Amino acid sequence: MTAQEVRLCGLLLQEHFGEVVEKVGTHLLKSGAQNLRAIVHETGVALDLVKKSLCVLVQHGACVFSSRRKGAGSPTEYLTSYDRILRILRYPRYIYTGKTLYGDTGELIIEELLQRGHMTMSSIVKTVADRLTQNMEEGCSMDYNEVSSAFSKLVETHFLQRCPPQKTQASDNSTTTTPSDPVSTTQSTPESFPDCYKVPHVTLVGRGKRPHPGEDGEDQRNAKRPKLDPETHGDEGIYWQVNFERFHLHFRDQAIVSAVANKLDQTSSEIVRTMLRMSEVMTSPTATCTKPLSANEIFRALPPSYNIARPILDQYLTLLVDDPMEFVGKAGDSGGGMFVVNLHRALANLARATIESVVQERFGSRSARIFRLLLRKRHLEQKQVEDFAMIPAKEAKDMLYTLLSQNLVQLQEVPKTPDFAPSRTFYLYTVNQLPTVRMLLQNCYKTVANLIERRLFETKESKRLLEKSQRIEAILASLQASGAEPEQLTEVEEMITATEKQQLDSLRLHINKLDSAENQVDETIFLLESYVNSTATS
Amino acid sequence: MAEVKVKKEPNLTEPVDTENRIKELCQQFPQGITDQVIQNDMPHLEPQQRAMAINKLLSLGQLDLLRNSSGLLYRLKDSVSASKMKGSDNQEKLVYQVIEDAGNKGIWSRDIRFKSNLPLTEINKILKNLESKKLIKAVKSVAASKKKVYMLYNLQPDRSVTGGAWYSDQDFESEFVEVLNQQCFKFLQSKAEAARDGKQSPMVQRNSSFATSHEVWKYISELGISKVDLSMDDIETILNTLIYDGKVEMTVIAAKEGTVGSVDGQMKLYRGVNPVLQATGLVKTPCGLCPVFDDCHEGGEISPSTCIYMTEWLDF
Repeated sequence: MTAQEVRLCGLLLQEHFGEVVEKVGTHLLKSGAQNLRAIVHETGVALDLVKKSLCVLVQHGACVFSSRRKGAGSPTEYLTSYDRILRILRYPRYIYTGKTLYGDTGELIIEELLQRGHMTMSSIVKTVADRLTQNMEEGCSMDYNEVSSAFSKLVETHFLQRCPPQKTQASDNSTTTTPSDPVSTTQSTPESFPDCYKVPHVTLVGRGKRPHPGEDGEDQRNAKRPKLDPETHGDEGIYWQVNFERFHLHFRDQAIVSAVANKLDQTSSEIVRTMLRMSEVMTSPTATCTKPLSANEIFRALPPSYNIARPILDQYLTLLVDDPMEFVGKAGDSGGGMFVVNLHRALANLARATIESVVQERFGSRSARIFRLLLRKRHLEQKQVEDFAMIPAKEAKDMLYTLLSQNLVQLQEVPKTPDFAPSRTFYLYTVNQLPTVRMLLQNCYKTVANLIERRLFETKESKRLLEKSQRIEAILASLQASGAEPEQLTEVEEMITATEKQQLDSLRLHINKLDSAENQVDETIFLLESYVNSTATS
Repeated sequence: MAEVKVKKEPNLTEPVDTENRIKELCQQFPQGITDQVIQNDMPHLEPQQRAMAINKLLSLGQLDLLRNSSGLLYRLKDSVSASKMKGSDNQEKLVYQVIEDAGNKGIWSRDIRFKSNLPLTEINKILKNLESKKLIKAVKSVAASKKKVYMLYNLQPDRSVTGGAWYSDQDFESEFVEVLNQQCFKFLQSKAEAARDGKQSPMVQRNSSFATSHEVWKYISELGISKVDLSMDDIETILNTLIYDGKVEMTVIAAKEGTVGSVDGQMKLYRGVNPVLQATGLVKTPCGLCPVFDDCHEGGEISPSTCIYMTEWLDF
């Protein structure tokens, strides 16, 4: 873990859980596993606050505790995981994916789960249905059944999973013995818990439609304290969480598909999408390539709307195999040809394209030419670089030295004699992809932290203005509710001057820009992280 | 059948005859003859006599003495150069010879000094002399801009000296290269687009987006943007830069011998391709391009809160 990661984690914790949790969290990140007493002592935070912070962290899966690490009777120790905290950065993307795949219901389910860490199915269904009803027209309401079927779908596709049961709660597990509809559990997950993707029989479903609370007051009470619901639904003790790994696999597949679409064309990308969807369940998350699929199978699985004839499909597959990016590989000739998607190769190529793009944007296209040249030819002397890239010696030297000083290019000395005399030494320039990617990853973390920092700064600068506008909006709302005169409303509205309005607008623009930039950088982070992880397993 | 004739009259004792005979031999073997050849030809000749004859010819400037791996070599001097050198002294001839030996790669004045063992001032005088007679010329090398190399006047300088088509005088024409780079890409791109609009089967589409290096060469020659004649190799170097730009892909296919543009039964095919990624998210932020990124810390002189790049970007 690096200083940049700790800084980013701190900012994320502060934003989502407040100052105290941030203090406890960063302390744990910096110092590793610690027991409660040590945390209290070293952070100087009051005991009950530390306890609450730890609760928050545990609830969100950002902190695990274990006892007896140092032998029997030793105190329970707490350990945070920075990669879980960094996931907070990707929340918008998870929620958006939920929306695109399963509509508003999916979006709300994911959102609620992310906000609360883990919940039982019944409380999610209730909260989501309530929220949906609230946004619907008067007289309409959301059926619990629909929400729970969306929930089941999310579980079936492994986007949601059960929290692994705590050992201390072993007795609670008896409730899980009556699963209604067993779903496929073939995919291996970090959890070795076999019932990971089993939806329990929830009596909520059996009862069907129930009256929905129409008033805001009751709705809010429900949302705030769902677990205090006096009724039981048969799924107490079974908590659900978002399966980040599954989302990441989905993002990875999307990245590959869009890369194919960019490089080749839409039809090829649809073929690759079909191949990925077919192998989704069969392929383990860490596999270097998908399970081989025969051309016949692919042909049958293609959605009929694409209208691709069999010989055309064969041609497309050949083209995909021939492409130098090697997204698709050929594994055999049986069944009309067996094809795989080279997942790790694709990630490596995408990561390479990412660093190339960074060099291109930051140092210009000529430096990018030198960089790609080095990637291709591995080791080159300065003179060779000039000749191959057709760049005048002076400029090439300048670019190479700049790249070298930014650690994007490395210099390898090969002496002819053991004395390393410069005149008798080859100086070979080279690019090491993996270390470069790691470095860029750190840069990304720092960039996101900078963006958050700037956003906080912008909000702080116009705190007074924001508070004022909020106050006025509240007044307006209450006036409207009480049926005030239009003149009165305009009078209140005019309390914000034109310049203030302008400032507010530009502030909103700035915040939006920073937010979207954060998400964009996170996409880069995702690609680079996946590449680094893929090299670790292959 | 001069040799047969010679063998019939073995008694060549007159020095003039010997000289003539040696000259004849030299004419027969324009690449030069060794001592052994003369010996075989005139077995009755005393070594002393032979040496005398050769020495005489050398002093008259009619023979060249060269050294190769097997020993000394005699060669008839060019009658042209011999006539050119009329009125020159021995030193001048020596320098001329040294320069001639260097061929179209040229030779540096300091190397002339080492080879001829003449003082530098003398050499400079001779070089100036020869230059004014238009026997030699000075060419500036691209490798070192201050270094002048000398070669015979009628020679075309070697690529290593001039740098090939990409150099005018001794400056690299980067603009020229860029223009060619763009033109080649435009050609390949339009070809790829035409193939895409063709609405044919994907295989045909890809195959028709390929262009051989010969086709590109022809296109560039017909465009007439280049004042110098470019060879196929030159165009391939340009196409290679496009590959390094990530805009073009190359494949080599086997071609029938004699097809235009094929080299050793191979043909290089190029085609324009689309990039895999748009600019990545990191470089869309000011931090991704920031020159002082490493010096940036919250609370420092350079910090995200006070960053002017960020302010400009936000107000954009």
